[in-house]
Amino acid sequence: MGTRRRSATAASTEDVDVLFAEYARTRDPKIRERLVMMHQNLVRYLAGKFVNRGEPLEDLVQVGTIGLINAIDRFDPSRGTKFSTYATPTIVGEIRRYFRDKAWSVKVPRRLQELNLAASKAAETLSQKLGRPPTIQEIAKSVNASEQETLEAIELGNAYDAISLDSRLEHEGDSAPLSLSEFLGGTDISLDNLERYGDLSQAIECLEPREKAIIYLRFFKGMSQTEVAKRLNISQMHVSRLQHKALKRLKELLGE
Amino acid sequence: MAVEQKSDIVELKIPCKPEFVGVARLSILGIASRMQMSYDDVEDVRLAVAEACTTAVSRAMKANKPDTFLTIRSEISDTKLTIEVEDSIPPTSTDLPEVPQSPDDIDEESIGAMLMELLMDEVKVEASKHGGTLVRLIKYAG
Repeated sequence: MGTRRRSATAASTEDVDVLFAEYARTRDPKIRERLVMMHQNLVRYLAGKFVNRGEPLEDLVQVGTIGLINAIDRFDPSRGTKFSTYATPTIVGEIRRYFRDKAWSVKVPRRLQELNLAASKAAETLSQKLGRPPTIQEIAKSVNASEQETLEAIELGNAYDAISLDSRLEHEGDSAPLSLSEFLGGTDISLDNLERYGDLSQAIECLEPREKAIIYLRFFKGMSQTEVAKRLNISQMHVSRLQHKALKRLKELLGE
Repeated sequence: MAVEQKSDIVELKIPCKPEFVGVARLSILGIASRMQMSYDDVEDVRLAVAEACTTAVSRAMKANKPDTFLTIRSEISDTKLTIEVEDSIPPTSTDLPEVPQSPDDIDEESIGAMLMELLMDEVKVEASKHGGTLVRLIKYAG
């Protein structure tokens, strides 16, 4: 890590000192930018320390860089402190604050976060003591919270770590890894329709032959009432009445 | 030392090698979880212990003593968690090293020391009774 030296950003101790002295005098944003670039290694190194807490390294580098910028702005070279000594706590502080405030994917009140930990610890202790999983009531009593609160606290454990829809799923075989979203089903309308169609055709079977014919000609063949009347050799009024009756019966059969 | 508090002790002895630092990290998760600590605090302790172990491992490598051991002794009480990481390389200095200035030259040891200070409530480096270095890390509960 220490040897990752890029000529564009490589700098000797004097360069850094000179730049800080100049920045302290001029507050030139260009100098600030150079100082930020020069200390990217420090930020990356520190961010890397926190990477197994479940946040992407690049996010931590971004947050750490905010800390770095603050440190550059507040650094007073005339005090004689070395900059990295000064900047490290600021960078680490910023990263830790990020975890404290933002890492819960769903914003959860601090009190419930703490209660969540207390509740899981109580659950463990109680199971050992009782020789069986404790009830919510027992956990609630042991952490001095209401049952409702305890339930909420236990539930929100899931909020710590939401999974991206694009996350790749582990699976066997050689095919390309699939993302989670590819496994999430939507409602298949044609399946629903198929089911309804089945119900409907059964219901139609229950109709009188003439009603059945009217439904078929009207709605499957798309004929007008007049056309149907002509075909069945009855009056249009009669068709209308029979159709009305048939539809009512179908509705009843389909339980609407 | 007047009032002896009731406390539990867990001791772990691991080879002073990089691949065992993870074992220490893992055990600290179990130990720190025994205390009423927030997730972030537990993670902070784990990171600090990992830094202490890594520093010890690199010192053992520099001293060409790869076959030595690390002892991680955790004392769990109601009020605090004390973790002592002891190796068998005598300390060069019990002062925590300074972080160097040059941005491209990251001194892992000194940053590790600084991280420990930032993450724990108390950090102390001293010569151990057995002729090694002992790093004592303390985190107070609550």
